[in-house]
Amino acid sequence: MALAVWACAPATAYGGQSASLHVGLTPERLGGETTLSLGFQVNASAGAIPSPLTAIDLHMPRNLGIATSGLGVATCQVATLEAHGASACPANSRMGSGSALVRFQVGPELFTETARIAVVAGPEQDGHVRMLVSATGESPVAARILISTVLLAGQLQISVPLVESLPEGGDIAVVAVQASLGGNLVYHERSHGRTISYRPHGITLPASCPRGGFGFSATFSFLDGTQAQARTAVACPGGASRAPVARLSPSR
Amino acid sequence: MLALAACCANMGAPAWASPGAPAAHVARVLAVRDDGRLHYIHSSGNEIIDEGHATGTLPGSVRAYFTYDGEPTVSASFQISGPGWSISGHGTGRLSNPNSTSPSFRGSLTLSGGSGRYAHAHGSGEMFGVYYRRSYALTVQTIGSLHY
Repeated sequence: MALAVWACAPATAYGGQSASLHVGLTPERLGGETTLSLGFQVNASAGAIPSPLTAIDLHMPRNLGIATSGLGVATCQVATLEAHGASACPANSRMGSGSALVRFQVGPELFTETARIAVVAGPEQDGHVRMLVSATGESPVAARILISTVLLAGQLQISVPLVESLPEGGDIAVVAVQASLGGNLVYHERSHGRTISYRPHGITLPASCPRGGFGFSATFSFLDGTQAQARTAVACPGGASRAPVARLSPSR
Repeated sequence: MLALAACCANMGAPAWASPGAPAAHVARVLAVRDDGRLHYIHSSGNEIIDEGHATGTLPGSVRAYFTYDGEPTVSASFQISGPGWSISGHGTGRLSNPNSTSPSFRGSLTLSGGSGRYAHAHGSGEMFGVYYRRSYALTVQTIGSLHY
């Protein structure tokens, strides 16, 4: 049975916006594979539309096995994703999925739109793994936002482009995102002249859990120059820290 | 990830001893060239533990701890063991094509100790390898000099 552990923490507002961060590890078994769920919500004062999000700097445990996961063993080109969406990308490039909520204003009217999210592996960037997040909405505005995410040690650098809503409207503001890395993915490979399907390795959790749990934090940057920060932690399994597993090799 | 493997080809072994000092140890140098094929044993977070065999100058069993945290530079510590001896070391390298099914890496390695006949082992060299993302296996080639 899968055990899902979620954490959510309130945020600090540094301008007109505040943000909250949500993280889940499913299942949360030390040393085992997990699906990483990341979500955030941006709130503006008095229920107004927040300033458009331009970047997110997400910090996470450095020893979380994202780079060593078997996720994203093919590359989807930016042009392919922009023109045709994630369905045109190689199946082996898919790394996750989710949804996003965006808001925009046209004249006096406020609109809310839900977009589907697909996370695929993109071309590397200076030797780093790059993930491309495609958010596709259909109504009331048909648009696709391409968000570039670079994996660094213990960090995800996410760049959010500005997208106009309608000619007479303002920029679309991303107000909430929920996305997962890993999960129910099926990849294909050629072996001895045959194509076989397999489930890729997910993200591996460390064999030990730090005191206070697995910590995550994020800085959200907005078009109006303000920032908001949020942090949270996923509690250790069983609610307690675990000691590191003893190494077998004297070389360590 | 990295690899490990050990090394060498016995290439002449100039020896010396400190004049006037107790002749407790005679240093030797071995040119090493080894290949290692390692399979997945276990992982913890961003560290993959592999084991396998090395062939070449120093044939033996190998255990490696390969770490890849998202930066282009990967690292690994390793130990190669034969009958009555072992050699430990560490390597770092740059990973190419991280999104491919089998990224390759290339870098340097340092040998930093051992046991048995290689109790005083130290040395350095180069390593080349491939990290298989589906199986977590590693293949590694090493070339270097071992002083012992």
